[in-house]
Amino acid sequence: MVRAGKWAWAIDVAVALGALLAIAPVLIMLFTAFKPESEILHFQSLLPRTWTLANFREVLGTPEEIPIGRWLFNSAFLATATTALVLAVDSLAAYALARLRLPGGRFVFVLIIATMMAPGQIMLVPTYLILNALGWLDTPLALIVPAGAGAFGVFLLRQFFLRLPRDLEDAAAIDGCSRFGVYARIALPLCKPALATLGIFTFMGSWNSFMEPLIFLDSIDKYTLPVGIALFQSSYGNEYGLTLAACILCTLPVIVAFLFFQRHIIEGISLTGLKD
Amino acid sequence: MKRLRASSTLSGMTAIAALGIFAIAGAGCRHSDSQTVALRFWNGFTGPDGRTMLAIVKKFNAEHPDIQVRMQRMDWGTYYNKLFVAGLGKRAPEVFILHADNIERFARAGFVRPIDDLCAGQDGLDVSDILPNVWAATERQGRHFGVPLDVHPFGMYYNKTLFRKCGIVDAHGEAAPPRTRDEFMDALAKLTAAKKPNGDPQTWGMVFTWLRTNAATLMQQWGGRFFTPDYSACALNAPENVAALQFCVDLVQKHRYAPPPETYDSWIGFRQGNVGIVFEGIYMLGDLRRQQDLDYGAAPMPQIGPLPAAWAGSHVLCLREGLDDAATRAAWTFIAYLSNHALDWCDGGQIPSRASLLKTDRFQSMPAQSEFAKALPHIFYMPRVPFVFEFQTELDIAVEKALRRTASPQAALDAATARVNEIIARHTAWSAAP
Amino acid sequence: MNARTWTGYAFLAPYLLLFAAFVIAPLFYGLGISLFEWEMLSPAPPRFAGLANYAEALHSDRFWKALYATARFVVLCVPLTISLSLAAALGIHATPRVRQTIYRAAYFPPTIISISVAGILWRWFFNSEFGLFNALAAPFGVKIPWLSETSLAMWAIVLMTLWWTLGGPIVVLLAGLNQIPRQYYEAAAIDGAGPMRRFLHITLPQLRPILLFVSIMNIIGSFQVFGQTFMITRGGPEHSTRVLVQYIYETAFTNYRMGYGSAMSWLLFAVIAVFAIIQFRILREDLQ
Repeated sequence: MVRAGKWAWAIDVAVALGALLAIAPVLIMLFTAFKPESEILHFQSLLPRTWTLANFREVLGTPEEIPIGRWLFNSAFLATATTALVLAVDSLAAYALARLRLPGGRFVFVLIIATMMAPGQIMLVPTYLILNALGWLDTPLALIVPAGAGAFGVFLLRQFFLRLPRDLEDAAAIDGCSRFGVYARIALPLCKPALATLGIFTFMGSWNSFMEPLIFLDSIDKYTLPVGIALFQSSYGNEYGLTLAACILCTLPVIVAFLFFQRHIIEGISLTGLKD
Repeated sequence: MKRLRASSTLSGMTAIAALGIFAIAGAGCRHSDSQTVALRFWNGFTGPDGRTMLAIVKKFNAEHPDIQVRMQRMDWGTYYNKLFVAGLGKRAPEVFILHADNIERFARAGFVRPIDDLCAGQDGLDVSDILPNVWAATERQGRHFGVPLDVHPFGMYYNKTLFRKCGIVDAHGEAAPPRTRDEFMDALAKLTAAKKPNGDPQTWGMVFTWLRTNAATLMQQWGGRFFTPDYSACALNAPENVAALQFCVDLVQKHRYAPPPETYDSWIGFRQGNVGIVFEGIYMLGDLRRQQDLDYGAAPMPQIGPLPAAWAGSHVLCLREGLDDAATRAAWTFIAYLSNHALDWCDGGQIPSRASLLKTDRFQSMPAQSEFAKALPHIFYMPRVPFVFEFQTELDIAVEKALRRTASPQAALDAATARVNEIIARHTAWSAAP
Repeated sequence: MNARTWTGYAFLAPYLLLFAAFVIAPLFYGLGISLFEWEMLSPAPPRFAGLANYAEALHSDRFWKALYATARFVVLCVPLTISLSLAAALGIHATPRVRQTIYRAAYFPPTIISISVAGILWRWFFNSEFGLFNALAAPFGVKIPWLSETSLAMWAIVLMTLWWTLGGPIVVLLAGLNQIPRQYYEAAAIDGAGPMRRFLHITLPQLRPILLFVSIMNIIGSFQVFGQTFMITRGGPEHSTRVLVQYIYETAFTNYRMGYGSAMSWLLFAVIAVFAIIQFRILREDLQ
């Protein structure tokens, strides 16, 4: 971006400082997981005096009791499936609301936004009873399908679709492209940053969700990682080292997903036609 | 090229998702062996407790091939939510743990099966072996709703190193835990004699961890009641309770033996070796053991007020309502096994509820547990009313206000009493409704 | 209706189906519950009570105190979140592409950490006797009672929330900024427009729909704050940080008063709706 030179360094410093403050607690978490329990309680230094893998070993150590691998797979599968569903369903709906002049479209949009304001807790019991009636409790469907009804994705994508320059779509329509074709071949690719953003948010939301997997799943084998992690949180005193080690294991896959999506978020668009 | 990428990635993911759904749904169908009864056992034992219980369950499964128990645990807060919602959907587990305080509520909601018939029947339990006050805690309208697995009373943990350093020792130079009020105040004074430049003591005499149980125990020691005998009115603002609360306030504000309370992380201070005395339950033992550089001692709750008293809770083994005969028999076998093997469980930091187990050498050789058990004749449970949680919330707020000096003990307890009386009125109205 | 409209509805249909089953249905179920006296601890079965639950809430000082705590959080947190995230996004956008990736990788990870761990971490940070912040401040002779002063506790929660949630809006705003065609800026530069004018006449208008999105989501989310207060202060000291959602949660899941809890949820819903509508008006959106 073109900016006045004399402010550039000040902006750089401010942004760098903010980045440091943001990442510092994460690094503290990281370092603390490598400390033995005694060091965690008597805080001496940020870096561990004795680096130890004991916490990680204990977390990963007893697969029959704590099937971390199984949970990891469940979380990855559910998050991927949910993201796929949300991206597909929400982008269709968002495009319709943004571009296709539908009778009642405005009403539907307002309704969707309005329902977003309802606090989640009160939906928990009715949703549970509905899922019970459908027979979906203790199956992956209970976690994937309701997630597709979230308003976040529709709202986000609609806003991005609104900002697209119309000339490209109009040109394609004149060339005989179907509505779906315009959507799939023109609008979607142009909105890649938005799709990637929604992707990472959905992935992360599904990965970190706690209440729903806890309540809607019964069997230990089907749990997701965050729910499994909660087993380490004792009511009678926290095993900080173990909790943090488990959290890091839990967070790494999401960071990987984030780095994957980040590439797409960075790409911008240019008005010189489609980039190939 | 690029324009295809988005859609092909999407379709790829959708395909995987679709395949996966069917795979997992298929794998989820389990054909249970008609000879084996599968039981689900839910509880809130996370951390070291949980590992202890898991080992016992494994042993049970090995010794009983026709019953397979699958244990599930999570922290208590979420545990009760999940249990409640599962109960609503009629999917509660066959066997589950309830705190004694919770039995009233869950029994009212219809989720728990009374077990008197099972105790008296074949493979029953000798209920006279269970400590009377513990057994009474599971009773509701003349029936008992579970077998107490353990009892966890309040007691005193103290830092032996600090005691020796501050001269709180007996004739042999060993750390001497206080047993009376005078000894207690004397110990606190010695522990806080050395001061930091800003006036705070170098080491605190004691900390308040769980305000509710600390205050309740002292109130009972002063002879106060929480309710009138027929539970028709709340008696929190009785003079004895006010006096007990004033004593707590003085410890913090007047004598400065204890720091102003700030959530339950005060426990960490004791673990770090900065505090001389803390009153907590026996269940904290597992946590203390992990602190290798702490030379801690355990002793029964001292008698600071005119009467001896110590708060206690229990984990109770409960059966779900509406099980068929085979499941009931299997579940009862499991419960009886756990009760008979309670000493394995107590190793981790609990006290058995059965008199016969208390007398064994094995229990007597558990240092902390046998000390805390000396208070068993004087334990009390939280009142067995359906609104016990709302009552506890009011008690918590009153104690917090008093300790933080936002209100005098009298005013705080008056306010709490008024609110609890409103709650009582509401519950009375329901019972009166047609 | 012509083929185009049918296609349009076809686009909407999959989403609307899920929406009807898993949002509308539970919501109206919840609305229904709020009209009943459904107390799990009562021996009597649920019975129709009309607006009695709503009346009880509006007369309850505990309800208003909880609503006040929530409102305080929103007022303290939302303007800071929006302005700081916008500033950060603009700042990051001004740096070369390579460093943008690094900055994004620094600002975003806090959002990835689940609330339970973030809560434990920050509770340790804020502990006035044994926590990290006071340990770092001790050499300066400063000891801040982060969580035990009613005036400070909410600020502590806000601070933690800013750390935890800024990453999300930053990433969204960055995506929006990246979507602004560079040609617009180049043309404006050729016309001699300075940075402030470019910001006001290109960046802000282009960003408006996304800014609207970010602020609406933030307001809605802030009114529903629960995890942070629950994990860090449990609503203390003296219920000063007991936000409405925590009160609803305790009412429904601890005291088993389902009807009353549901009614309070709908009251909160109404409050959020009012503020969201105001927000829509302020960042007035022009639909084509």
